[in-house]
Amino acid sequence: MKQRTKRLCAACLAAMMLPLGACAGEQVVSPQRQQVEITFSWWGNDRRNEYTLEAVRKFEKLHPEIKVRCSYSEWSGFEARTNVRMASNTEADVMQVNFNWLGMYSPDGTGYYDLEALTDILDLSQFSEDTLSYGRVNGILNAVPIAMNTETVYFNRTILDRYGLDVPKTWDDLFAAAEVLREDDIYILAGAQKSIWLLLLAYAEQVQGKSFLDSSGNLQFTPDDFQIMLEMYEKMIDEKVIPQIEYFLRTEIDSGRYAGAVAWVSDAVNYFSAVIENGQEIVVAPYTDTDPAHSGKGWYAKPASLYAVSRNTQQPKEAAMLLEFLLNSEDMALLQGVEKGVPVSAAAKEYLEEADQLKGIQYEASQRMEKTAGLATISPVMENSTVIEAFIECCNQVLFEKAAPAEAAQTLWQAVRDTMA
Amino acid sequence: MAQTKRVRPSVRKMRRLKIMLIGGYAVIAVLSILTVSLLAIRKSDTVLRNKVTSLASTLNVQMKLNLDSYLDRLETIAALAFTEEATYTYDATAEGMDEYEALSTEKEISASLHRLCIMENLVDYGVVYRNNHPVGKLSNGTISLFGDRLFEDLHAMIVNPRTHDGWAAGYNGNYKRIYYVKELHENAILVLSVYASELEAVFDNPETMSDMRIFLTDLSYNLIYSSEADAETGTPISKELSDRLKGQTAANIMDDKFFVTVSTSDCSWYVICAIPSQIILSERSEIQGYIILTAVLAALLAVLLGTVLSLKLSVVVADMVSALETKANVDQLTGLLNKRTFEDTAASVVDGTVQDAQYALLLLDVDNFKGVNDTLGHGYGDEVLSKIGRTLHTVFTADEYVGRVGGDEFAVLLKYTPDPAEGGSLETTVRAKCKAVCSAFHDFYTGDDGNYKISTSIGAALFPLHGNDFSALYRAADIALYYAKRHGKDTYAFYDPAAMQGEVLK
Repeated sequence: MKQRTKRLCAACLAAMMLPLGACAGEQVVSPQRQQVEITFSWWGNDRRNEYTLEAVRKFEKLHPEIKVRCSYSEWSGFEARTNVRMASNTEADVMQVNFNWLGMYSPDGTGYYDLEALTDILDLSQFSEDTLSYGRVNGILNAVPIAMNTETVYFNRTILDRYGLDVPKTWDDLFAAAEVLREDDIYILAGAQKSIWLLLLAYAEQVQGKSFLDSSGNLQFTPDDFQIMLEMYEKMIDEKVIPQIEYFLRTEIDSGRYAGAVAWVSDAVNYFSAVIENGQEIVVAPYTDTDPAHSGKGWYAKPASLYAVSRNTQQPKEAAMLLEFLLNSEDMALLQGVEKGVPVSAAAKEYLEEADQLKGIQYEASQRMEKTAGLATISPVMENSTVIEAFIECCNQVLFEKAAPAEAAQTLWQAVRDTMA
Repeated sequence: MAQTKRVRPSVRKMRRLKIMLIGGYAVIAVLSILTVSLLAIRKSDTVLRNKVTSLASTLNVQMKLNLDSYLDRLETIAALAFTEEATYTYDATAEGMDEYEALSTEKEISASLHRLCIMENLVDYGVVYRNNHPVGKLSNGTISLFGDRLFEDLHAMIVNPRTHDGWAAGYNGNYKRIYYVKELHENAILVLSVYASELEAVFDNPETMSDMRIFLTDLSYNLIYSSEADAETGTPISKELSDRLKGQTAANIMDDKFFVTVSTSDCSWYVICAIPSQIILSERSEIQGYIILTAVLAALLAVLLGTVLSLKLSVVVADMVSALETKANVDQLTGLLNKRTFEDTAASVVDGTVQDAQYALLLLDVDNFKGVNDTLGHGYGDEVLSKIGRTLHTVFTADEYVGRVGGDEFAVLLKYTPDPAEGGSLETTVRAKCKAVCSAFHDFYTGDDGNYKISTSIGAALFPLHGNDFSALYRAADIALYYAKRHGKDTYAFYDPAAMQGEVLK
């Protein structure tokens, strides 16, 4: 066979073997999708959980390189979980935090990530310096507020009208209304533990003419002042102004057993959406006061909640991206609406204005807060769970005659002092 | 010099054979490759289907195990409630209790339950008493959902007679939460619930199976969980899936449209994985494409190789045939056409010619050649003949047929094509050729001393003047040759019927 023919045959064979040769024992390496995983924690009711999860999905769609693992539950128990997480350095990368946690977990300002180190991603220009000051500890920006919040008094005007009652403005108005309503086993007001504690704190400050803490943050209340609170609680229970704290059920608002409630601005939709949907009218009342002309005295405001980043985060860039999305994006603004109150981010507020979402009971409560002069900034000790538990225990001691009001007040005073120590 | 001007039958047969050989080889090669390819496609399809079924079935089983493991963990957390005696002994419905003591006990129970579930994303983890009084972590959502049937309807979810517990979803059409209920005593139940969205982590789908849709449904095929972001829980899965799944509790179902696998979890919910067949078998068309491409390439290569080899073979055979033909047609001594070939060829040319064509047939007879053989020997005579052949090669062109038609006789058929520019005629052309031949013979002498002289006599006949076919033309040329021989040799003569009347051919 000629050399040329041999070469031709060899070329043909080589061509035929080529596809076979490519798969014989060859190592195949295919890349897997790599995602940066960050964690995000918050507390809230069903609605908040649903829209926050939806927001997270939108964020992940925008940034497919980031996976967000969520940890959430209702408020009950969340604070204790946060305590464990913070102590064990297993907290989420991005956290919804309560205002009083800044003092608890970051007394010197280093307990959370310095958010001003993330301004290449996080647009802080959307927030006024006054607003940001709520998130500063020792000059370090630990958290950014979402909206402002205060305990607010709401009444079901439909029920009040049925009984020919006006919207209560004073403590006496409450007792007068209770006298009418109790015959039908209806309470004029109701509230959860912390709300009743802050309600009675306002009462005591108004009656005693002094604030809970002095301007330096030292306890100004004496056992006598606490005794005023305990006795008022007992009186309100006895005269069926409010139900016992332990028996408060939010769903009784829906059933009409509660004609009013004291609750955070951020809880307005959660508490009243069902009755509003049923066609009943809910009004935001002036902050209850001994003197309606000074409504707002003894009531405290704070950021509804804030977003912070873990000081231990290994993904500060991705955490900042999520934070920017939660605070300033149109997607999150429209999903969240005024559920946490009117957002303090200028961008988010503008999106809501454009979408005509600045309305409803929660917006009205925010407007009441903004227009009321004299609301002081809440102190972390006022939201301390140990203090509140001690208050409830002392209330029950008085209520069930396990201790004299003065004795229980002394116990409560001591508990507050110990907590502040 | 023309020797094989026309395609011979043997060559035509060879060409036909060659075409049949190549065609046959191509058909066999293509059919063989087609058969092998079809078998390969069928086999690969079966193997792929089996592999895909196995893989998807494994995914389904893994999802079921994930779910069972997750639910089992929640049941364990629920069982932890029994670590605090008060949790399963306290009865809020008991009459005559001191209210303060009762509140204190409930506070302890609540604190204990909160501690136990502190790290879990539980919506509910609390105790509900027969009087609907809740203790522990009971969400407003649950209390609103069940209303004054809180205990009664939650208690109805207990279906397991051994462990006195049960799982439920879709209460009053609400599929956002999944409930686990366990009896503490006849007047108290422990309630644990999670958001159905928590199942996202349970059913986290590997990237390689990202097109697989995963569903968790109740026994009525209502969605408890769906991996499709826009699917609404509580709605039934599509009819095309439920129709396929009807009556199946653990099966893999594949048809042209869907591949569906189903398994049943420990709490009797269906874990369903579904994917359109065309997606999961997308590699099938890719594999088939490769097989077909390989087959086409192989067929082309086979045909190409067969064609090349056939051509190579035919060239060798053609050379051999040509050599044999040359041997058969050519006079080996002079290199001229032999008598049979010359006569066949010249006859076919003359007899098959068009009417306007003009030919001349020359017959040459070497003068005194017998004397060469007799005097100088046959060997020398052969050399002389060979030299005559070469001489004739130089006188006549390649378009003219020259053959040896006898021992010392030669014949030439030449064609005349008129040239208007130069004028002339067939006769003048033939005359010139005859003179040239005679002259060429004058130029060489034979013998050792060159003193033995040979010459040639030439008879010429013109077509169609002297004959309408080859035989007539040959006879005329032969008469002319005879005439030339008789009139002194070493000369040429044109056939002249008048002058040559009475010439007798020998």
